[in-house]
Amino acid sequence: MMKRLAFLAAALYALSSAPALAQGKDKVVLLLNWYVYSEHAPFFLGKARGYYDQEGIDLDIQEGRGSGVTVQAVAAGTANFGYADVPTMMKAASKGAPVIAVGVALQTSPMSVMGYADHNIRKPEDIKGKTVAVTPGDSMSQIWPLFLKKTGLKDSDFKTVAGDAQTKLNAVINNQADLLLGYVMDQAIKLQDATHKQVYPIRFADYGVNMVSSGIIVQKDFLKQKPDLVKRFMRATTKSLEEAAKNPEAAVDAMLAANPKSGVKDTALVGMKNTAALYKGPDNPKDLPLRVGEKNMNETLALLVEYGGLDKSSAGKATDYYTNDYLP
Amino acid sequence: MQRPWWQRVLLSVWVRPVLLVLVLLVLWDLTIRLFRIPPYLIPSPWSVVAQLQAEWPRLLKESIPTTYATLGGFVLSIAFGIPMALVIAYSRTVESFVYPLLVFSQSVPKIAIAPLFVVWFGFGIIPKVIAAFMLGFFPVVVSTVMGFKSVDPDMLDLARSMKAGRLETFMRISLPQALPSIFAGLKVSITLAVVGAVVGEFVGSNSGIGYLLQIANGNFDLPLMFAALTVLSGIGVLLFVAIDVVERLMIPWHASQRHDLAATP
Repeated sequence: MMKRLAFLAAALYALSSAPALAQGKDKVVLLLNWYVYSEHAPFFLGKARGYYDQEGIDLDIQEGRGSGVTVQAVAAGTANFGYADVPTMMKAASKGAPVIAVGVALQTSPMSVMGYADHNIRKPEDIKGKTVAVTPGDSMSQIWPLFLKKTGLKDSDFKTVAGDAQTKLNAVINNQADLLLGYVMDQAIKLQDATHKQVYPIRFADYGVNMVSSGIIVQKDFLKQKPDLVKRFMRATTKSLEEAAKNPEAAVDAMLAANPKSGVKDTALVGMKNTAALYKGPDNPKDLPLRVGEKNMNETLALLVEYGGLDKSSAGKATDYYTNDYLP
Repeated sequence: MQRPWWQRVLLSVWVRPVLLVLVLLVLWDLTIRLFRIPPYLIPSPWSVVAQLQAEWPRLLKESIPTTYATLGGFVLSIAFGIPMALVIAYSRTVESFVYPLLVFSQSVPKIAIAPLFVVWFGFGIIPKVIAAFMLGFFPVVVSTVMGFKSVDPDMLDLARSMKAGRLETFMRISLPQALPSIFAGLKVSITLAVVGAVVGEFVGSNSGIGYLLQIANGNFDLPLMFAALTVLSGIGVLLFVAIDVVERLMIPWHASQRHDLAATP
């Protein structure tokens, strides 16, 4: 039945893309992990400069509502490509979702605990006695205990308040909390945009927490049926990421031109630079973006099993979750 | 004529919904098998039941703060809603000023302003109570206003002609005639208050069913999510039944309460 549905979907897809086919282009939907912000700028650069066009791809970038939803949408075939948190995808895949990462963009974790720079919280010890805002169940709150273990902190050393993504920001903005768990290129920028105060993130990665983050994911069947399209898409994406890292300003301009509400130029530029700094992991074969090292993925999987609520019995091997075969 | 015992059991008011639930569970299971719906999209009913069993102590523990917040919001809805409805029902001036604004405020999506409650009232139980109140308040006002406005004018004339005082008229005629409508509003209110409490917990909380839902969501633990939703609906049903019991005690004479007698063979 699923197969028949898939066929029906494919037929509909073919019908809907008929005009595009006339121009010889594949219509592709990329579903992002969240509303557009600096991390996504490279895709807009690639679209604006025609990197996707050159590969015969008519790219439609859609905003997401969290990595979990993006993974489910890709697994169900609603979107062709997803830009989502790879550990989140691994959790879904271990529960049977037929998805795989065909490139890992952020190979160093952007996770951090951050507060205002003038509050002088710069080392893990400074967190003692402070209040930390977290979102229960999200990837950062799950890895947080590992950061505490690596830095010798205890739960009782600080106070915790919990709320959704917006509440976390509000809590720090309104001084209900001193710190929040967030991404260096996301929440740090949002805090600065809202308050015009400098934010200092303490990166988990600097204290021995090695875990990959956002990447490109596809459905396994889609990969089997259209390997060539995936290869072309990944070629264009690699070029987009490389160029964005070289010209962060052009990338941010392209993003703001397509989505004027997605940020403020100055801070988005900082966000884009912070994002590009995460393109390299501890082991990065060939030194190309999106090509993730096996050691990095093994470590990520091990952390997920130990802290991230991924069942050991269904974990499998790291290579079940990613492939570098479709990268240039 | 007496029906055989098994027919009486099958037709009893308590068994009927349980039967329907069983039928729905089987349908759910069949749908999943028939259409091969993978468990990361919809879990099987039995995995939800298993999770309900395994996580029961935790679910029970987390349902306490949610129930508190629901009841808090519900009590506030009554405390503010009924007096406000009285004033609206008895004064055209107040009605013309307040009622449109009330309807306007009801159309504001609560989920959009809920994050602000945490900013204004902190991380304690208060923002959840307020969220429950915001959702539960409106049906109480609307049905109470309707109840008092649909009091039979002939009865009021009769009371006046018999020289009944205002308070006496209110207590003996208006209030009893408005009560069925008020209770209808209270029943809608309590189920919405449960939703409000969970919205509050989603936005900012260290405990409660809403908090558990967030964690389950983060881990793709759909069985736990559905189990939490089941417990949540259970809370709603229990509170609804509690109001129903109070209603029976307070207006045993009303047509809606007489069906038990009429239905007896």
